[in-house]
Amino acid sequence: MAGSYESEQRAKILSGEEVTENVNISTLKYFWLSNPRLSSGKNIPKFLRSIPVLGNFTDNELRILSRHMHHRSFGDGEVIFRQNDVGFGFYLLYGGHVDIMVNVREEDVPDMSSDQDVTRILTLESGEYFGELSLLQEHSVRNASAVSRQGCELLGLFKPDVDQLILQYPVIAAKLLQSVSQIIANRFYSLSREVRELKFKISQIEKAQV
Amino acid sequence: MIEKHLSKWRNREIARTVFFFTVIIVMILALASVPRVSAPLLLAYVISLMIRPGVPILMKLGIPRTLAIIALLMGLIGISAWPITKAVPLISDEARNLQFYIPKVESYITNRYVVVKKELKEKAGYDLNDSYLYDFLENSNKYVTNSILALPKWLASLLEWVFLVPLFTFFILKDGIVFRDILLNICPNTLFERFYSLTHEFGKKIGGYIFAKFVEASIIFVIITAGLWFLDIRFSFLLGLVAGITNIIPYVGPVIGAIPGLIYVLAEYGAGGTFAAIAILYTVANAIDIAIVFPILVSRIVDLHPLVVVVSVILGSQSMGVLGMVISIPLAAALKLIILEIYQSIYARRNNSSF
Repeated sequence: MAGSYESEQRAKILSGEEVTENVNISTLKYFWLSNPRLSSGKNIPKFLRSIPVLGNFTDNELRILSRHMHHRSFGDGEVIFRQNDVGFGFYLLYGGHVDIMVNVREEDVPDMSSDQDVTRILTLESGEYFGELSLLQEHSVRNASAVSRQGCELLGLFKPDVDQLILQYPVIAAKLLQSVSQIIANRFYSLSREVRELKFKISQIEKAQV
Repeated sequence: MIEKHLSKWRNREIARTVFFFTVIIVMILALASVPRVSAPLLLAYVISLMIRPGVPILMKLGIPRTLAIIALLMGLIGISAWPITKAVPLISDEARNLQFYIPKVESYITNRYVVVKKELKEKAGYDLNDSYLYDFLENSNKYVTNSILALPKWLASLLEWVFLVPLFTFFILKDGIVFRDILLNICPNTLFERFYSLTHEFGKKIGGYIFAKFVEASIIFVIITAGLWFLDIRFSFLLGLVAGITNIIPYVGPVIGAIPGLIYVLAEYGAGGTFAAIAILYTVANAIDIAIVFPILVSRIVDLHPLVVVVSVILGSQSMGVLGMVISIPLAAALKLIILEIYQSIYARRNNSSF
């Protein structure tokens, strides 16, 4: 917004149009948005605003939600959680990248120091999220490992934080649980579609064999 | 792929872990070495547990958090000011009067002793050694006198508490979360999730236990004081207070709490109807505690087998005396939590895995 105001003014000056000398709302807004604390991008509520599933939150609700989140930094290659760990919270990727990895041999606790049997299934970027199931499940078990790639910053939200939100800000807690349900519903939808496709492929292979 | 990065953060993680545990150990040692601060802090923590549920209710009405805390604290001070101003002079009065009753109790015990001794010699031919009795009397006399002499000092520290406890309670309610967040910030990444979940469960369990015990002791105090007052027994307030405080100790506490009352009534009124009434009163109070209060309040929170409770109380008393008996139950509950956590991380997750 600050950029558009600036370019607008520049265009006016270049075209020789008259530029207003009074302080108006647009000028004030320009200076307000030029505030380094707002424009640096390192503003958690502002970051949360950019996440589509949190679209039903108001700005003030996002500010309160951000106060209940835990900002954690991870170094390059640092393990965020391991497959089969008991999970306790949900993470939003604030900056950097996270690799989601699975161990092919389900019965073993994955050893991150060896490449054997560990497969990277996807890489998450800023604004994406993972671990949402453990926010709802009792004694939830992580079904994949998360490893930071070239360092990352995460915003964690854990069960006690949700408990506190339910007590103090029930509306925000309801909206949050709505968002988490939406995330899970989306994942469930894509999963069931994938299962359907796989079933179709299997049936085709079976037909071909017959 | 990942191996080359691992050693980089592993050293940093070790340093963080060492620093984190050092901070925790230093904090525990500092609190344990300054009971003058830690005792009112503990009381403030108990009070904060009692008024904490009121904070979100007021906040829902649109009152800012700090103002809600101040309002609740003011309300509590207002409600408790009257009983405290009444109770403090009453306790010191009763304690002072007790001094004059001690010789009476002593002579009663000596007289009974002479009768028992005579009967025992006639019937069994066994001669009792007098030194046992005189040692016992001398020791208990000394103990009671010392306690009474220490009372003004105790009351003086109570005055200090009148200022400290509300102050601590206010800051625990207002900035408790900030303190927790600082601790969580320095917590190493590998421990973070587990530490947060364990401390949360710990807080809930220990806080709940302290609160339940406080309510339980208050109920016993009210029943005993009201009963004794109704039966027109002197020192009803002091005896009720003793019964309430000793009730905090599981199993043994109610018995210890009943002894001073029963001995006093025996010395003052003899083994008659009044004594029977008092004995029934103590039994009823403890029956209410065992049958109603304990199952509803305490056992639901700690969820320990009675055998585990007895063993932990014995172990606690052996290592730390009375304090050990009081803190043994929450400690056992906390230990159970850690053991369950380890158990789940080793065995249970295999059966509970989900996609």
